[in-house]
Amino acid sequence: MDFSLSEEQEMFRRSIRKFFDQHGQTSIARDVVKGNTTSLDKVTRGLVELGCTGMTVSEEFEGSGLGSLDLVPVFEELGRALLPGTLLETIGFAIPILEKYGTDEQKQKYLPEIAAGTKKMTLAWLEPKKGYNPDSVGVTASAEGESLVINGVKSLIPDGDVVDTYILLVRTMDGKDGAGLSLVLLDREDTGITVRHQKCFDETQRLAEVTFENVRVSKSQVLGAMNQGWDVLQEGLLHLNGALCSLMVGGMDRIVEMTAEYATIRVQFGQPIGRFQAIKHGIVDMKTDLETARSLSYYANWALETDVDDKKAAIYSARAFITEAYIRIASQSIQIHGGIGVTEELDCQLYLKRARYYENYLGSVQQYREKTALALNW
Amino acid sequence: MDFSFSKKEEKFRSTLRSWLEENLPEGWLEGKNVITKENAEYWDFLRSWQKTLYEGGYAAIAWPEKYGGRNATLMEEIIYQQEMVRANAPQLINYVGIHMVGPTLIQIGTEEQKEKYIEKILTGEEVWCQGYSEPNAGSDLTAIQTSAVKNGDHWVINGQKVWTSFGHVADKCFLLARTSSSTEKKHKGITVFLVDMHQEGVETRPIIQMDGEHDFNEVYLNDAIASDADIIGEVDEGWKVMIALLMHERTGIGGQLFTLEQQFKDLVKMTNEVEEDGKPLIKDPFVRQKMVDLYTRSRGSLLNYYRNLTTTLKRGYPGAEGSMDKLLVSELTKEVFSYAVSLQNHQGVLWKEDALVDTYWQDKFLHSFGMTIGGGTSEVQKNTIAERILGLPKDLGR
Ligand SMILES: Cc1cc2nc3c(=O)[nH]c(=O)nc-3n(C[C@H](O)[C@H](O)[C@H](O)COP(=O)(O)OP(=O)(O)OC[C@H]3O[C@@H](n4cnc5c(N)ncnc54)[C@H](O)[C@@H]3O)c2cc1C
Repeated sequence: MDFSLSEEQEMFRRSIRKFFDQHGQTSIARDVVKGNTTSLDKVTRGLVELGCTGMTVSEEFEGSGLGSLDLVPVFEELGRALLPGTLLETIGFAIPILEKYGTDEQKQKYLPEIAAGTKKMTLAWLEPKKGYNPDSVGVTASAEGESLVINGVKSLIPDGDVVDTYILLVRTMDGKDGAGLSLVLLDREDTGITVRHQKCFDETQRLAEVTFENVRVSKSQVLGAMNQGWDVLQEGLLHLNGALCSLMVGGMDRIVEMTAEYATIRVQFGQPIGRFQAIKHGIVDMKTDLETARSLSYYANWALETDVDDKKAAIYSARAFITEAYIRIASQSIQIHGGIGVTEELDCQLYLKRARYYENYLGSVQQYREKTALALNW
Repeated sequence: MDFSFSKKEEKFRSTLRSWLEENLPEGWLEGKNVITKENAEYWDFLRSWQKTLYEGGYAAIAWPEKYGGRNATLMEEIIYQQEMVRANAPQLINYVGIHMVGPTLIQIGTEEQKEKYIEKILTGEEVWCQGYSEPNAGSDLTAIQTSAVKNGDHWVINGQKVWTSFGHVADKCFLLARTSSSTEKKHKGITVFLVDMHQEGVETRPIIQMDGEHDFNEVYLNDAIASDADIIGEVDEGWKVMIALLMHERTGIGGQLFTLEQQFKDLVKMTNEVEEDGKPLIKDPFVRQKMVDLYTRSRGSLLNYYRNLTTTLKRGYPGAEGSMDKLLVSELTKEVFSYAVSLQNHQGVLWKEDALVDTYWQDKFLHSFGMTIGGGTSEVQKNTIAERILGLPKDLGR
């Protein structure tokens, strides 16, 4: 019995922590808010050099062939720094489904470049005023010889205006409950794409609405079997949610740390506020949320790596719990900081906004609970 | 990361499992709990179960072999807890003796004390209770007022204890008394006595809990007698003995977590079997949401426990993380039973033989309130977590 990350994994965490410390942690995200991406670009390159982007790419395609658990410390540290960008979508989603469903040609085209940091991927699923129900996918891809012709609008695409490739969920055939949907690898240089930047209250995130007008793409760009994209997406979401859990835990860890620190130095009524039990017990509630989240996240990623029976229940339930817990503790940290908590100056607000950003990302808490219930055969 | 057990550990598990199958009381494994608490013979039944454990070498596995234990590793103790929960084995009547007093005596008792008590703790011949709490001293045990005064060659003890679990069936009490009060440090001046419950100066009165059961008692000490030989550790240094004792109680919380896991499975079964308006409860979307939430947090607390266990195994001794495990398992158990009753709609108020499903749910709901109070209240656990894990300042007055 050993329920902990390995010594190597912890060592790798320390090196990433050190790297982010050198680059000012959340100041990278703050620069992005101000419109300056110099430090983000530099740090992203640094992470590639540290091997983060290639970790889970197989050796055959110039990666290191590591597993989901090795990503845990990486994503926790990214979450702590609130690093903008699409490493979540690229490493957490694109790599595992390319590895599992990609054709040799697709793997050759994308994986080595992802590992080298020269290809950034994102997921384009949602459409304006629609939810995550498969029946509401309205972007179509109709077959014309060896091509697909894509029409429609996708919304809220992370880094939609800067990524290299969209993994696009489209309808290729009529159907219900996910039948007739396909995932298409669409490179952004293809013509007929109009991008509109969308303002997000988590200003560290970049979102875009993208209109596709008769965009032509080869059928060989379909990822997984044609019309079976919904299943491929579900498999990818398991990985993405595993990674997302780690990202959120990383943020939560920092919040608890900074709140406990503040409670020991802020003095009112002649004593540190951390001596008042309303404050003290509030921070303990945050801490128990954090530790429960971390345990669930570790287990979820272990389940992913070892492919055990309760894998789906573990991942879905972790995702649901952690999403809510992140919002809860980010909110609580603001209250404990008092007036300074509501200012722009403090990082509390950045974490709160990010927590809220993830709340309904790729599915709501309710949906993930229902998926858990189904996975448990209830 | 590795959740597997070693070959040796698996061997231990399978041997214990077959032993249990052979030795549990007749009909037990089929779920026919042959005897209930209302039955006057209940306590004799528990004593004889402990005797059976003793004969099989399973009464106190963590003790050194020399004293009748098996020198069990922490992992074996965990497995032991899991298997006892799995078989729904009868309660251990001498929990205090086996998990607290015995190991403490082995560690710091005199040869004479070991000779006198150890064997009888194992066999269940002498059942122990813990005499800490008093009317004016609960969370703050430094406030105890029960006094022990030296008179010639013996000590005379006067005062009152309360909430003494097993007090009415116990033969011996591990009792805290004040032997001096002049010092500024309030935890000084307390002494631990090993007191005989069957003497004229000790009177036990039952306290009935809200579930109608009688688990704990008031214990009155009127010129009760103890000798020097009945003191464990040094006079006035009882606090150190209490700390030593705490370190021995290693896996009780694990047992509670495994029990909660089982109870939650029972709840899932209940929501599948019980119907409202012709539909199983578990098919209701609101019920599903809430059940997944409880499932997730129960899993989370068990996984936390495994993570903390890993830390303990690596470090060699348990730390303050145990307070978090205790806090979570007790609060969650309360929530699970509260929901179980709530799920039964207004019929949830039906009790005993009229209960909608089984009075187990109503009884356990009422019983669960003690869990966040006994063994240190949730608020006190939070203080510990805040101060020892998060480094927040200590409460005023302590
Ligand atoms: C089922 C059960 C079995 C028990 N068995 C035994 C036994 O065998 N032997 C024995 O000696 N005792 C036993 N006890 C007693 C138990 O240890 C005490 O009840 C417990 O320590 C709390 O003490 P109290 O009841 O005096 O409550 P108090 O200490 O008076 O607490 C009352 C309230 O004040 C809060 N409070 C107290 N101090 C603080 C603080 N510093 N910060 C914040 N809040 C605080 C508490 O959390 C609680 O909510 C048992 C109790 C129960 C419920």
